[in-house]
Amino acid sequence: MKKFVNKPEDFVPEFMQGILAANPDLLEGNLEFQMVKRKDRPVDNKVSIVQGSGSGHEPAHVMAVGPGMLDGACQGPVFAAPPVDACYETIKALATPAGVLVLVNNYQGDRMAWDTAVELAQAEDIKVDQFLINDDVAVKDSLYTVGRRGVAGNFFVMKACGAAAEEGKSLDEVKAVAEKVNNNVRTMGVALTSCIPPAKGSPIFDIGDDEMEVGVGIHGEPGRERAKITSADEITKTLFDAVADDLPFENGDRVALMVNGLGGTPPAELYVLYNKAAQLCEERGLTVVRNYVGEYCTSLEMAGASITLLKLDGELETYLDAPAETAARIF
Amino acid sequence: MATISLSTIEQGIDTTADTVIRNESYFSDLDGLAGDGDFGTSLATGFKVIKKDLPDLDKSDIGTMLLKISMIVSKHVGGSSGPIWGTGFMKAAMPTKGKSELTLQEFADAIGNAVDGIMARGGAKLGDKTLLDAVIPVAEKLKDHAEKGTEDLAEVLKDCATIADGAVETTRSLVAHRGRASQVGERSANTPDPGIVAIATILADWCKANSVEYTPAAPEVAKASA
Repeated sequence: MKKFVNKPEDFVPEFMQGILAANPDLLEGNLEFQMVKRKDRPVDNKVSIVQGSGSGHEPAHVMAVGPGMLDGACQGPVFAAPPVDACYETIKALATPAGVLVLVNNYQGDRMAWDTAVELAQAEDIKVDQFLINDDVAVKDSLYTVGRRGVAGNFFVMKACGAAAEEGKSLDEVKAVAEKVNNNVRTMGVALTSCIPPAKGSPIFDIGDDEMEVGVGIHGEPGRERAKITSADEITKTLFDAVADDLPFENGDRVALMVNGLGGTPPAELYVLYNKAAQLCEERGLTVVRNYVGEYCTSLEMAGASITLLKLDGELETYLDAPAETAARIF
Repeated sequence: MATISLSTIEQGIDTTADTVIRNESYFSDLDGLAGDGDFGTSLATGFKVIKKDLPDLDKSDIGTMLLKISMIVSKHVGGSSGPIWGTGFMKAAMPTKGKSELTLQEFADAIGNAVDGIMARGGAKLGDKTLLDAVIPVAEKLKDHAEKGTEDLAEVLKDCATIADGAVETTRSLVAHRGRASQVGERSANTPDPGIVAIATILADWCKANSVEYTPAAPEVAKASA
């Protein structure tokens, strides 16, 4: 394993320290609880938007803190939910009379940590509510599982809620925005290689040179099937159809289209996928109003990508257009 | 009547810490088969702190000690294991507050309370292929022995170890219904659940630490307990 790591156990606090050091005007943090927050928040009349999940998905979630996006976030170890204390301290640090909305990606660990933290905060009369994001169509949604995973569609929930909160919407109204986005967003990913968590030091799964994992999770969880690799166009069509058929997206819909890199795929390859995905949108009569090509929710150095479609209406278009500034800025 | 002292429980927690720390990589490898491979590391991170802090923890009574351990878990254990193990220790602390030794009945009640808390926290039940498939039958066996008035605690411990060990095999072919492994559906079948392996290994190691003869049957438990 070759990685830029000092000691594996210092990996998360050190990269968080780096994010704070690179954004001294925007952010402050409390690394005892792996927490980063906007320096100028909370304020009384704005709902605070908060998220916390495992590390290794950067820029999600800790680099998505800033005006128009999250007000605060906490990190767990790589691929593991944050400890309960970290979640609780993050809610407390962003508590405001307008309330705190926690956006939780649908994983057992995240749910239990936030459930506990929200109960603790409510017991102290902090106004807080939570919303579950579950956009991954690879998981069969059933009563007998934890349900669909929250993956790259998370970005759109954060963006829309961040914009709605900046507009001064109430806690219930912002939660309704989260629900609208989540009801209209679908994602599926594919992995060409595994990733290597620093503490583990070896790949999380074995995959042949000629194989791909279709429907992979962002922690390397198995997806729908292990298949022989095909052309970029065919892979794009497989992902796109699974996503577009699920809602379903229909002729005349206005959409946002995201091609998200999982960490180890060069930007040029992402644009090869985008090229085909945009064509497929046209064939289905979907108008791409906004597009996102790049890394939004990664899985360390995994080579792979996911495709996300969000069905828009006037309200959501306004929220996507609203300004935002985060540590994940590129220019 | 057979009783379980604070120092026996302290010793059990210390042995548990050794088990978990020694198996940090192995438990993560098992978790990687259907999940994301964080289980061993998440748990070991917390138990390293427990191992270090245990000698100086407030031990005015069993409940106080368990509550302190629950707080360490809440602060240091990420992933699903934090809320699960943290809730378990907290719920076991409640009925044992103010007690410096427990009858088998009181011990069984504390474990039963912990199991109820874990079920409420994660929404899992028997047969969902989580660590509850090991701890629910163990809690029931403890209750049986308490009601029968079994005096030989070695026999009780060996029974519990056997049941948890057996759960590794009986659940191996199941499809997980809770936890991250549930999100991979059929593909979680034929992999052992790392939580069940961990519970069975801890009990096998408790046997060893208390000079109770026990040979693990499941290959994963034999490997982890070696």
